[in-house]
Amino acid sequence: MANTKEIQTRMHSIQDTMKITKAMYMISSSKLKKAKKAMEDSEEHFYAIQGSIARILRHVPDIENPYLGHEKPQEKKRIAYLVVTADKGLAGAYNQNVIKLVQEKLDENPESELFVVGQIGRSYFEKKGYNIHRHFQYTAQNPSIHRARVISEEILVRYNNMEIDEVYIVYTKNINGMESEAQMYKLLPLSRTDFGNNNGIELMVSDTTRYLPTPNDVMNAIVPNYVTGYIYGALVESYACEQNDRMMAMDAATGNATDMLRNLSIEYNRVRQAAITQEITEVIAGAKAQKRKKKANEER
Amino acid sequence: MATFELKVIAIDKVFYHGKCQQVIVSTADGSIGIMSHHENSVFALVEGSMRIQMEDGNWIEAVAGIGHVQVAYNRVTILVDFAERPEEIDEHRAKEALERAQEAMRQKQSIQEYHMSQANMARAMARLAVKKHYIKDK
Repeated sequence: MANTKEIQTRMHSIQDTMKITKAMYMISSSKLKKAKKAMEDSEEHFYAIQGSIARILRHVPDIENPYLGHEKPQEKKRIAYLVVTADKGLAGAYNQNVIKLVQEKLDENPESELFVVGQIGRSYFEKKGYNIHRHFQYTAQNPSIHRARVISEEILVRYNNMEIDEVYIVYTKNINGMESEAQMYKLLPLSRTDFGNNNGIELMVSDTTRYLPTPNDVMNAIVPNYVTGYIYGALVESYACEQNDRMMAMDAATGNATDMLRNLSIEYNRVRQAAITQEITEVIAGAKAQKRKKKANEER
Repeated sequence: MATFELKVIAIDKVFYHGKCQQVIVSTADGSIGIMSHHENSVFALVEGSMRIQMEDGNWIEAVAGIGHVQVAYNRVTILVDFAERPEEIDEHRAKEALERAQEAMRQKQSIQEYHMSQANMARAMARLAVKKHYIKDK
């Protein structure tokens, strides 16, 4: 059995860790409030623009637009993934879920280009030696519209230069406020079939819709805005999920620490009691021996 | 005057939702006014002013970013990347942004940086123009 000193050291170290997990829990919960608010504020635009694009795609006359796909044979198409991870771990399986999903795709297409937001994902794919854009360095903290604009510009320029032909975004989607799930979504090119069963906000547009100045110009103006809007929505939603996951992970860690402390304090008391008992036994035995010695002397 | 349902949605908020008499937006070819029973159409928007005449006849002045307007069966949805009222515009910040963008445009830049500076400049100029117009009106 360990001695009291050892147990005490152990307990102190657990208490210190618990202070950290408790603090992180509190920080995450306050950040979560802010992130949830941003998510709710952006939701309207996020769904409306998807619905709107879907309607336009369904009704727009047949036009040749780069955003509807590059003319290239399928096997020559270069695929890019925009991956949204966190800047740090300690958030349960949040990062792992996203990374796993991307890894599956990379196993099929190891040559894909990666645009990674967040430190965890970047260092993972860098270590594995995938084709990652080194200058694409953005934090996942406090997503802003400005950052979404810069990211979407980086991607659109490459797309329009035919450097990449397909763009997917991998982010974490909030399911019911508590649970989250990694999800992949095709950003570009827009294809009519992808928007087939979109349940966004209903915007009825008939076939007689007029596009001003021309359908092509309308597409060119809307799509960048759509991509920016989608990226912003994804960043905000991922950030909220990250805080939520971290909060739950830290809550579990604090709970585990409390359990360990309880067990250790029982053990500590037991060891302390054993030591005292032993000491008393020794003192009594010593006293008895002295007494017996004295008695023997007197009798002599 | 006849009214119609208008919803203006910016990336981070719903700017306006309700009935209105008319709305004037900025497109690449200039301002376009939309009134009740406008034919179904989709317009591309550029950065610039947006004016909404509400049901009671009062005007809301605003600055809006790029996006599009969708007119469908007397319902109008405007999706833009930002929308602000003149009193929300920080003139000082917009001026600084404009100067920064102008400064950046003078430097040698990649196409991508050029696009970014250009967009920043357009946003700053639209904000300043609406703010100036609003102050003059007062």
